[in-house]
Amino acid sequence: MSGLADQQAALVAALTSGGAVPAGIDGARFEAARVALLRKRAGEVARQWPMLAAGHGTRWKLTFAEWAATRPSQGSLRDGWDLARDLAARDALPAVAAVELAEREVAWHYNGRNAPSSRRGPALRATGGAVAVQLSGRVWTLRRPS
Amino acid sequence: MADTPPPYGVGIGWRPEIAGFVEGLPGLRFAEVVAESVHAHGELPPGLQVLLDRGVTVVPHGVRLSLGGAEPVDPERVTHFAAVAERLDAPLVSEHIAFVRAGGVEAGHLLPLPRTREAVDAVVANVRRVREQIPVPIALEPIAALFDWPDEELTEAQFIGEILDRSGALLLLDIANVYANARNRGTDPLELLDQLPLDRVAYVHVAGGAEHQGLYHDTHTDAVPQPVLDLVGELSARQRPPALMLERDGDYPPAAALTAELDAIARASGYPSVT
Repeated sequence: MSGLADQQAALVAALTSGGAVPAGIDGARFEAARVALLRKRAGEVARQWPMLAAGHGTRWKLTFAEWAATRPSQGSLRDGWDLARDLAARDALPAVAAVELAEREVAWHYNGRNAPSSRRGPALRATGGAVAVQLSGRVWTLRRPS
Repeated sequence: MADTPPPYGVGIGWRPEIAGFVEGLPGLRFAEVVAESVHAHGELPPGLQVLLDRGVTVVPHGVRLSLGGAEPVDPERVTHFAAVAERLDAPLVSEHIAFVRAGGVEAGHLLPLPRTREAVDAVVANVRRVREQIPVPIALEPIAALFDWPDEELTEAQFIGEILDRSGALLLLDIANVYANARNRGTDPLELLDQLPLDRVAYVHVAGGAEHQGLYHDTHTDAVPQPVLDLVGELSARQRPPALMLERDGDYPPAAALTAELDAIARASGYPSVT
C-alpha cells in the first residue's frame, strides 16, 4: 500500500468505526467533522425512512448517531433498514416505524448484506408488533402495534 | 470574441424536492444534477426532462467517484457517469478533488486530500481514467474541509493549480468552500482568489452554511450568508464566471426564499435575474 492509501484508510476508519484520529490531525476539528457526518447521514436516512425518524421525534439524530458511530454507511436505505431491524429485535421500534418496516419487509427481499430487491412472490411478515402482507406487489397492513 | 458562447448566467442545482420551483424559473439556462441520482438508461425524472426540452444546459455532478482515492476509480462508476453525461447531452461534467472511500469502506462524505505530490498524482491518474470514457471536459471542485492533514507540501492554490495543469481539467469553484476554508483556517479568501487560475473556471457553486461551536459548516441546508455573496462580487469583479449556481441540498425553504437567493446571486455577479 502506498502512503496515501494508508493515510486514507486510517482516516475513514477513524471517521466511521471509532478508530484513532490519525496523528497530526486536530482532534477537536476531526470530532466536529465526525459529528457533522453522522448528522448528515441521519438526515439522509430520514428521507428514506420518514416514519423511523418521525417515530423518534427530536431524539432521531441522537438515536441514529449512537447507532451509526461505529457502523460505516451502507447507503441510507440499508442503514435505516438495519437500524429498524435492530430496534425491532430490542422491542424499541416506535409503532409508526414498525408499520413502515413491516411494509418494506413484505415488498422487498433484504438479506442484510446486499442491496434490497423486489420480492417476486407473496409475503407475510410480523415485526415490532406490526403485520403486513404483500400479494402481487400490493401491500396491506393487517395489524398496527398498539 | 465572436465564437465565444454566451454565458449561462445564474443557475441552480436541480433536486427532485424543488423540481417544480426550478421548472418555473423563466430565465433559467443552466442547472446541475447529482450524477449518481440519474439512471443511466431508464426514464429521466419528469422535471429534468422538461428542462432539457427547453434547452437548459444540465451538467452531471459526480459525488461518489472518489477521484482523489489512492486506488483507481471504479470503472463501473465511470461508465455510469459517462452514460448520464451522454443522456443529458452535457457540454461538461464535474466532480470533486476529494476521496469518499478507502480500504473498501465508504466514508459517506467528501474528505480532504493531504496536499502532497502523491495526492496530486492520484487525482491526475484518476481524471485521466475518467477522460478515457468521457469526451467532454471535466471540471474539478475543491472541497470545504473542517480539518487539514499534517506535513502538507503544497499550498491550496499550488495543489489546485498543479492538478488542473497536469490533468487539463477545468475548475468548478465553490465560492462558499473558499469562504468556509478561509474562515476556519483564519486565512484571507481574497488571497486564494488572486492565486487561482480564474480563467479556467467552468462554473461556480454558491451555497449556505452555519456556524457550530466556532467552526463554519458548509451545510447546503442554510441560507447563503452575506460574506459569501460579497465573495461572488469580488470574484466577478476579477473575472466573471460563465455560470454561477445555487446549491441547496435539504431543509428547502419556501419558494420566495430561493427566489431571493437566486436574485442576490444575480445582483452580486451582475447577471440578469432568472426568476
